[in-house]
Amino acid sequence: MIEFSNVTKYYDDDVVLKDVTLTIEKGELTFITGPSGAGKSTLLKLIYCDERPDKGQIMVAGWDIGKLRQNTIPFLRRNVGIVFQDFRLLLNRTVFDNVALALRIHYMNASTIREDVHAVLKEVKLGHKADTYPQHLSGGEQQRVVIARAMVAKPTVLLADEPTGNLDIDNSQIIMGLFREINARGTTVLIATHNHGLFHASGRRVFYLKNHTIEKEEIG
Amino acid sequence: MKVIIYSIQSVFRSLWREKWINLLTILSISIGLSLLTAFILLTLNMDSVIQRWAKNFGLVVYLNDDISAEEEAALKIMISEDSDITEIKYISKELALKELRMTLGSKAPILEGLNDNPLPSSYELNLRRDLLEPELVRKKAVQLQQMKGIEEVQYGEKWLSSLYTITRAMKIGAFFIGGAIFIAITFITYSTIKIFFYRRKDEIETLKLLGATRIFIRLPFLLDGLIIGLLGGIISSLAIYGMYSFTSLKVIEFLPSFRLFMASFPFQVYIIVPLAGAAVSVIGSYIAVGKIRY
Ligand SMILES: Nc1ncnc2c1ncn2[C@@H]1O[C@H](COP(=O)(O)OP(=O)(O)OP(=O)(O)O)[C@@H](O)[C@H]1O
Ligand SMILES: [Mg+2]
Repeated sequence: MIEFSNVTKYYDDDVVLKDVTLTIEKGELTFITGPSGAGKSTLLKLIYCDERPDKGQIMVAGWDIGKLRQNTIPFLRRNVGIVFQDFRLLLNRTVFDNVALALRIHYMNASTIREDVHAVLKEVKLGHKADTYPQHLSGGEQQRVVIARAMVAKPTVLLADEPTGNLDIDNSQIIMGLFREINARGTTVLIATHNHGLFHASGRRVFYLKNHTIEKEEIG
Repeated sequence: MKVIIYSIQSVFRSLWREKWINLLTILSISIGLSLLTAFILLTLNMDSVIQRWAKNFGLVVYLNDDISAEEEAALKIMISEDSDITEIKYISKELALKELRMTLGSKAPILEGLNDNPLPSSYELNLRRDLLEPELVRKKAVQLQQMKGIEEVQYGEKWLSSLYTITRAMKIGAFFIGGAIFIAITFITYSTIKIFFYRRKDEIETLKLLGATRIFIRLPFLLDGLIIGLLGGIISSLAIYGMYSFTSLKVIEFLPSFRLFMASFPFQVYIIVPLAGAAVSVIGSYIAVGKIRY
């Protein structure tokens, strides 16, 4: 589903990723970890084509990312749900509208959107907060809105960038539970985190990113 | 279809949220459009006045006194077959003399001493309108001059060249002033939409990351521009109608020559102005949104 072959990425003259090669199978739930600044977010950005590789090839759900034309990028992104490290919620829209946006860009009709959004909000235990604005939510709740938005369109791939950044253990467990559920439905999930507790004893593959490359791969 | 419905909803929401800046934009556009319309009508009318003058412009071709009947017949055929010439009027020696007598009126008796008619016969020719340029007319005159049996060709050379200068100046002026107003209107929408666009920059960034297509991102702004321009145009139409009614009632009373201006006031203006406003405004919005890169 996701395949990196000798991918190198520079920011100006600084190398961030060097010769990264990895394969993630369809339906897997995997982790990528490493110290801050190791390039985890960059690796995810390469997958949803927010950054382009300088060398090597990236295949995502059959798309050759390096060769993607501008017009095609939106169609790749519709297959990729993203939980952004910085949330990217629209503060002037309600929780409902924030989640609905991911469907509106698909031109779904209003009644389907209403049903789907309420269903997904219930799933992340935010059914009662649909009409609230993001700044009136706790960090954990905001995080769940972002997850709801990423999963509502039923993407084939879900990328989560530090999804438990500032959360306590209980909240982290709730969120991990959500990812396991999404994954159980067939979505390939890749989680970038430096929270070892998240993948400890998970039995899932974990990529260790260090010194600009995949240093090792272990089962968590 | 769904794109449009969603976009229209969000457009009306954003129009209402920004009602003051929108109102200001709409009013600016309507002022611009009204100026442009008044200016275009003025130009059109002046042009038709000039065309009316031009209609009277003609060449007078004097025939040789000793022209033979055959020569004269051949000449007549040549002139009447010339597609550059639209009207031909023959003035015989006798007719010329009669006209001269009439012009002289009470002084006509001074002609009594003549026992021979000294006046030549002549043709008065009108040229096709598109030939009324000094250079082209001069060429035609030379060409005629060289025909057998023609003594002289006369026309109002100075008059023609000043007419030509006026028309040209008017056309160039119309082009630049019209163009300037046009650009100004485009710019009004451009800057308003640009403000909206920058205010929503974060939102647009997020939309792009979620997988929104360019058309999805752009359409609300274009519709915004469309509605602003259309409303500006409608207000402008109403203003033009108001001014028209006012002038036809009041001004003509004092300034009868204004009727000339009123005479050719095409009714389609009321439809064209809003459409033009919408079109120009959409162009401005399109430029304001610019290229969307992922
Ligand atoms: N747009 C950019 N331009 C230049 N340098 C960048 C850019 N984005 C990231 N970097 C640099 O690239 C390196 C990797 O950044 P990245 O965000 O991928 O790290 P990360 O592993 O996600 O870190 P964290 O755990 O803190 O989120 C960092 O040194 C960062 O400063
Ligand atoms: Mg990061």
